[in-house]
Amino acid sequence: MTAPIEAEGLVRRFGDLVAVDGVDLEVQPAEVFGFLGPNGAGKSTTVRMLTTLLKPTAGRARVAGFDVVREAGRVRRAIGVALQDAAIDPLMTGTELLRLQAVLHGIPRRHADRRGAELLERVGLTAAADRRVGTYSGGMRRRLDLALSLVHEPEVLFLDEPTTGLDPMSRVALWEEVRALNQERGTTVLLTTQYLEEADQLAGRIAIIDYGRIVRQGEPRALKSEVGAPTLLLAVDEAHHAAAVAALAGFGEERPAGPGEVAIGLEGGAARVPDAVRALDAAGISVNHMELNQPSLDDVFAEATGRRLEGAEEPAGGGGTPAATGG
Amino acid sequence: MTAARTAFDHGVAGRPLAVAAALAWRNLVGIRRVPATFVPAVVMPVFFLIAFSGQYRGIVEIPGFATDNVLSWYTPMAVLMGASFAGVGTAFSVARDLETGFFDRLLLSPAARGAIMCGSLLAGAARGLITFALVTAVGLAGGAAVPGGVPGLVSLLIAALGVATVAGLWALGLVYRIKSQSAGPVVQVGIFVGLFLTTAQAPLEVITGWLHPVARLNPVSQILELARQGFLEGVAWSSTWPGLAAIGGLAAVMLVFAVRGMRTLTP
Amino acid sequence: MTTVALLRAHRRQPLLQALVLSRRSVVALLRQPTVWIPSMFFPLFFTALNSAAFQRATNLPGFPPFDSFLDFLVPATILQGVIFGAISAGTEMATDIENGFFDRLISSPVSRISILVGRLAGAAALGGAQAVLFVLILLPFGASIGGGAVTVAVLVATAMLLGVGIGGFGVALALRTGSAEAVQGSFPLLFVTLFLSSAFFPRGLMTGWYQTVAGVNPVSWMIEAQRRLLLEGFAATDAAVAVAVAAGIGVVSVGASLLALRRRLAEAPA
Repeated sequence: MTAPIEAEGLVRRFGDLVAVDGVDLEVQPAEVFGFLGPNGAGKSTTVRMLTTLLKPTAGRARVAGFDVVREAGRVRRAIGVALQDAAIDPLMTGTELLRLQAVLHGIPRRHADRRGAELLERVGLTAAADRRVGTYSGGMRRRLDLALSLVHEPEVLFLDEPTTGLDPMSRVALWEEVRALNQERGTTVLLTTQYLEEADQLAGRIAIIDYGRIVRQGEPRALKSEVGAPTLLLAVDEAHHAAAVAALAGFGEERPAGPGEVAIGLEGGAARVPDAVRALDAAGISVNHMELNQPSLDDVFAEATGRRLEGAEEPAGGGGTPAATGG
Repeated sequence: MTAARTAFDHGVAGRPLAVAAALAWRNLVGIRRVPATFVPAVVMPVFFLIAFSGQYRGIVEIPGFATDNVLSWYTPMAVLMGASFAGVGTAFSVARDLETGFFDRLLLSPAARGAIMCGSLLAGAARGLITFALVTAVGLAGGAAVPGGVPGLVSLLIAALGVATVAGLWALGLVYRIKSQSAGPVVQVGIFVGLFLTTAQAPLEVITGWLHPVARLNPVSQILELARQGFLEGVAWSSTWPGLAAIGGLAAVMLVFAVRGMRTLTP
Repeated sequence: MTTVALLRAHRRQPLLQALVLSRRSVVALLRQPTVWIPSMFFPLFFTALNSAAFQRATNLPGFPPFDSFLDFLVPATILQGVIFGAISAGTEMATDIENGFFDRLISSPVSRISILVGRLAGAAALGGAQAVLFVLILLPFGASIGGGAVTVAVLVATAMLLGVGIGGFGVALALRTGSAEAVQGSFPLLFVTLFLSSAFFPRGLMTGWYQTVAGVNPVSWMIEAQRRLLLEGFAATDAAVAVAVAAGIGVVSVGASLLALRRRLAEAPA
């Protein structure tokens, strides 16, 4: 059997900008595959190419066994897609949108209404079915979007940042829905996310994408163990920062850390923590906080890219002044 | 995953007619729920009718006008103007869908691209029908005469639906390319130029100077004659077929323009 | 130097501040061709259209003794352009309020009144420039200006006053609502007022209620006076009527915008 999603050397340029720079993928049947990366890494562009919305500049891709360029129509019949920000017509009701989606997929009316009711029930929107979508919360919109993408029982489901902007409870509810879908029906799922926890919780395998390239790929557990030693993280006063780094130099490699923090890949693991504390004490360094972290996907990301994913977002607004300063 | 194949026969794309009807219906539901979006398509032509027939009451006294009733002269033009706004208005809904991403949902479906476009045109025609009814009613209430009777009104209706379609295709062609509502000014300028560089203001024999050859060659003049004949005298085949031919020709050209525009949206 | 920096440099000099602000409003407009191109295009388009479609109307009994419908339309063309252009003073002001520039201005030591004067002086300059531009564009197409330079001067003066009048109306609306969309939405109202006058056809050839309304619309008095100037050359009474109507509109709308400014500033300490 062919893989539900295969891509080979997928490239997309927008003018001079290379958004996707040679992506190779192979997603196995009934797998939940996570596509992890920061904003602008090329996740959505890749999804848009795989779902026939965007023509690749170079490379090939097959989804459900069909070429995404030459057999776009066949691909569209086989896939379900929930795109970023769940663009849903706010003037229509949930039921109306499901009916429209069914018509688009050529599902006869008598099947469509039953199927629509089932799906609304499944995502917990039965009570809101006849309300206009404009009155829905963000979480409800995402759940409706998920229901819409399932109307025709697709073989392959694409979820582009399905929980971005959702509160933690709605996020967990959506995860459960995706998990159940995958387990009950064996639907293959490709999901993109910028949340480590999401990839860790849902995906059997992940690919980490940065600047349009896949930098790591595999099972989360295997990727984490590749990073190796756990991270010893210290918070110290700015004045002691350099001294702390020097004192711990023999314990392992320094790792990227936030301001006022020192991170070391502690060779030998927890057993060496007492030695490290003694070394710091001998150097006269007062430590404000200390923790030992087992490798996380963030460490995998940091090791692959030299940057952290979590907390890496720029502060909103950028502190600039309003644009209209005139003459 | 062949195991995922189901009783819903999902290997089938939606039937084009059903898809077009469903999308047109969605557009009309939008009007009913937020009527403000439709107001310009009705208010503008009614204002045009009142303002132009009041302002230019005197023109029907110029020798060469086939009627001395200024409302008979301007009502068909106002209907066609409203019909063009109706077609354009639907294209702007598409622009909004492109901006919000809703249009991606349609493009992601296996429905034929042509059916998606027909949905917009169908909605434009339906809006055009509403405009036709309202503006004609205002014109008749104001005193427009229809010596051509019911066939005269029918030829006005046909012309209105034709203009809604041609204007809709023109606007869709631009919207598919520009992908936002900022296509508005270009769309409008095209509509105004197309509609007014015709016999809109005066019959050909009254027009002087540069406008004379332009209005004579502009096919929209023929559509206007089709629309207007019932308000000036009886309906005649000789005033009907050039208008029908003009609608057909313009629709064919604009169809190519719109289809090419749509092809820029997906592989 | 930014506008705010310039304003600081000119503190205690309201006149210079107004100058800086009016320069800003003109520059901002010129940088937005989507605003000023339509304000030139539509008046010229309809003037070109109607001067060819209705040329023969000049032979109708009751039509003023113009040889060409184009000559007849010169004042209406300018008026349309000024209406289209000057309302942008209001939308710009509303945009300033929306994006916070207005708050920055009133929290700087700029004199309050110069905010208003700056906007309106900008609108006046634009109106005058449009009048000159329209005359220059129409001349090669055969428009003849009876009365020559003196008539042009009256046309320009009226256009500047109208710029203040229409601009003041837009600014008052902007200060009241703080919404560019609301100001933009008032545009049809201006257009209706223009059409319910004798701007595009002689009043004598209208009938019924339309003729009555056009007769009491001051825009008709102004435009008819301007047409007499074009036809018969300079006459003090005609010049006075044209200027007086424009000035009257200006006084009313400047008053309204002063009130609106005071209302908006009532929230902030003087």
